[in-house]
Amino acid sequence: MQRRAFLGSSAVAAVAGASAATAQSASGTAGPIRRILITSAEHRLARVLADSLSEAHEIRLTSLNAVESKHPFQQSDLGHEEPTDRLVEGIDAIVHVAEPLPGADMHQQIDHLTRRTYNLLLAAGKAGVQKVVYLSTLELLTAYDEKFVVDEQWRPRPGLAGPSLPKHLGEYTCREFARIGVLPIVTLRLGKVVHASEMSRGSFDPLWVAEEDVAQAVRLAITKGSENTGSSLSRWTVLNISSGSGKARFDSSRAKRVLGYEPAHNG
Amino acid sequence: MKALILGANGYLGPHVVKALEAEHELLITDIKPPPTETSHKFRLVDATNLDQVMDAAEGMDTIINLSVVRPHRVLAFGVNTLGCYNTMLAAVKHKIRRVINTGPHFTVTGPPYEGFDFDIGPDVPPQSGINLYAHSKSLGQEICRVFTEHHDIWVQEYLFYNFRDPAKLTPGGGGVPFQISWDDAGEIFRLGLKIELDKLPSKCEVFCCLGDMPHGKFSNEKTKKILGFRPKDDLSAQWTKPV
Repeated sequence: MQRRAFLGSSAVAAVAGASAATAQSASGTAGPIRRILITSAEHRLARVLADSLSEAHEIRLTSLNAVESKHPFQQSDLGHEEPTDRLVEGIDAIVHVAEPLPGADMHQQIDHLTRRTYNLLLAAGKAGVQKVVYLSTLELLTAYDEKFVVDEQWRPRPGLAGPSLPKHLGEYTCREFARIGVLPIVTLRLGKVVHASEMSRGSFDPLWVAEEDVAQAVRLAITKGSENTGSSLSRWTVLNISSGSGKARFDSSRAKRVLGYEPAHNG
Repeated sequence: MKALILGANGYLGPHVVKALEAEHELLITDIKPPPTETSHKFRLVDATNLDQVMDAAEGMDTIINLSVVRPHRVLAFGVNTLGCYNTMLAAVKHKIRRVINTGPHFTVTGPPYEGFDFDIGPDVPPQSGINLYAHSKSLGQEICRVFTEHHDIWVQEYLFYNFRDPAKLTPGGGGVPFQISWDDAGEIFRLGLKIELDKLPSKCEVFCCLGDMPHGKFSNEKTKKILGFRPKDDLSAQWTKPV
């Protein structure tokens, strides 16, 4: 029923006429990215991404809890049973925002980023999802001295407080799915996501990145195929996503090179 | 040394107890009582329950985590992943500097190694693959490693695969090229409690725990070199031609 409701949504007609982007997986199979599932629907970033991506794609949002949304929504606890299989049925790409519910303790956060992510990816692999974009955090790299130019080649150094350990474990899980070829996965490590208007107020935070620029990076990660061997996405791609400010703690050179990412909001 | 053993009543636990009981004071814990009477203290502890792990760890010098769940996704992540988180939180709270964690060989040396390579040792980047048991244990081990970067805790990770009774070898029976006798497995824990922490190369060390296999597929050299392990049981008859 959910599947029929989804396909029957009014968005279908608009999407059918849109130029659906094409992705190409590491295995070489190609197909248009029409339907995108976005997790953690209760979070503002998920809604921003849904609005942005809905211009060219059919969107389905999901969350552990019921969420009101103008986009089609399907509640799911991302468990290991059939409902998660149904959630990803017909989906071409997943944006795994991977934020635990507000107020979740560390056990719940780790559980969300490990077990539920595992369930989601396993179901996605079975359903033939072409690509997953996993949203991680640049906090994995803040332990390095600020004098260094830290890029994606540096080993993550998660802390034990805040989101960095769960996000790191989520990356760990995604990496194994990508490694053995179940799914191509693009991990975008985000700074502190803020609305662009916030960046012009007060003192600049070197970790800031505008949600509009995150939406751009996600859109590019979804649509970027491997047709260009000079900037192809491998089955496991990690990219830092920062603002373009000269004061940014981490630069996004690789994302610019690989995706064509051009942050527009730079404080 | 006062040693808390989590998951002590599984397959491996009784052999670890047997190896340690002469030299250490043991608190045996599990979600089920011991199958036979034990002379050691016993407490029901579920590794997924932080409060229970915290209470059991009070006053201990070391934690040995043998807890494991293989097939059920909720329980596997609960025990194999979050159980490690609880273990490390308890170690931090009670200032326990020595932790021994355990897992299957593919916690680290999963399909990308096993399917391709030889002389596979423990000091390789973990590649568990997505097997539920392997991956959930690998996440647990990663949690342990991250804790060692932030606290004065030394973790030894022991990797096992198959266990065998040397009295019951079957010439030509074969099997996976990563096996150890129960007694030799227990001995490694004794050595792991004996070694001075500053003799370990780092605060997080992984050991392949297998006997001297004839295949050359996996290597126990590090376990010999660092812990002084000398397997006493020869299991090679398992791979001789049947008479």
